[in-house]
Amino acid sequence: MRDTEDGAHALEVFLASVERKAFRIAQIALRHEADALDVVQDAMLQLSARYSSRPAPEWKPLFYRILENRIRDVQRRRSVRNRVMAMVPWRSGEDDDTPADPIAEAADSGPSPGRQLESDEILRALEQALAALPNRQRQAFLLRNFEGLDVAQTAQAMKCSEGSVKTHYFRAVQALRIKLGDLRA
Amino acid sequence: MSAGMEEQAMTGEHAMDGDLEQRARALLLGSAENLPGAVRSRLTQARHAALAARHARVRYRLQRWLPAGAVAAAALALVVVFVPHGRHAPASVVNPLISNVAGVDEIELLSSGMPLNADQDVDDDFYEWAVAAANGAGAVHTTATNASGT
Repeated sequence: MRDTEDGAHALEVFLASVERKAFRIAQIALRHEADALDVVQDAMLQLSARYSSRPAPEWKPLFYRILENRIRDVQRRRSVRNRVMAMVPWRSGEDDDTPADPIAEAADSGPSPGRQLESDEILRALEQALAALPNRQRQAFLLRNFEGLDVAQTAQAMKCSEGSVKTHYFRAVQALRIKLGDLRA
Repeated sequence: MSAGMEEQAMTGEHAMDGDLEQRARALLLGSAENLPGAVRSRLTQARHAALAARHARVRYRLQRWLPAGAVAAAALALVVVFVPHGRHAPASVVNPLISNVAGVDEIELLSSGMPLNADQDVDDDFYEWAVAAANGAGAVHTTATNASGT
């Protein structure tokens, strides 16, 4: 029973350590706050229900793999819905609830204190550029750069080889550099 | 991408030494730290829901396997208590072949005319001394009786 309590505590600490980054990753990919929250919640539930008995060092790559799968599911559903809606003449693009303008739907990072006001615009530009990347490049960049996973963990989370991770990451950086320069204000 | 750049990407960990990478990381980390309260609250609720689901699953497993485990343990205890084993086994469970062989040995021993304790160490000196002492006492007793009678 003691082991169970220790495991629950370790899992809580782990989830608390990743939840915000996971939300931001989902939000950048989906451009939708509620969808991002749902996706993160699903990933947390699945990790704790199915994989919490695994060793703790495996949790992070597993969690992000689940998260990426959920993100892809939402993107697929949206894609199907958009195709269906496009076939309906009286609803074509009118009140489609998929956000059309990424800037308008950009992350609401709350009340921005002083200095952050300057960087809000850069952050939005970065989010737009990240959202425009191919999925695999965006995943590689966010997992490596933002979440801080190493190449092996990223490969595990993306279910691909380490060489692919390096290539995706490098291409993502190149694409972002072309769009954003060095991201200086 | 040029072949050289590709090769560079494939060679190492590709440390985040570029301005863009460092700046992007700082911006993203800052945005994660400054999430609105409503989002943070939803994330906390999601975490608690996940932990509650885990707890429910652990409890479900216990409820599912505990009775089976208890029955197995009881069955094992019954086996240990009631099934005879080892040297406490009664004669009825002794191999009859071995039992018959032992019986033959005993019959040979009885019919050989040897004393039954022949295989034990016997203190011959003690018996000789005892016989001599008994004879000596008998002789003394006989002499004393004759003397008093005369």
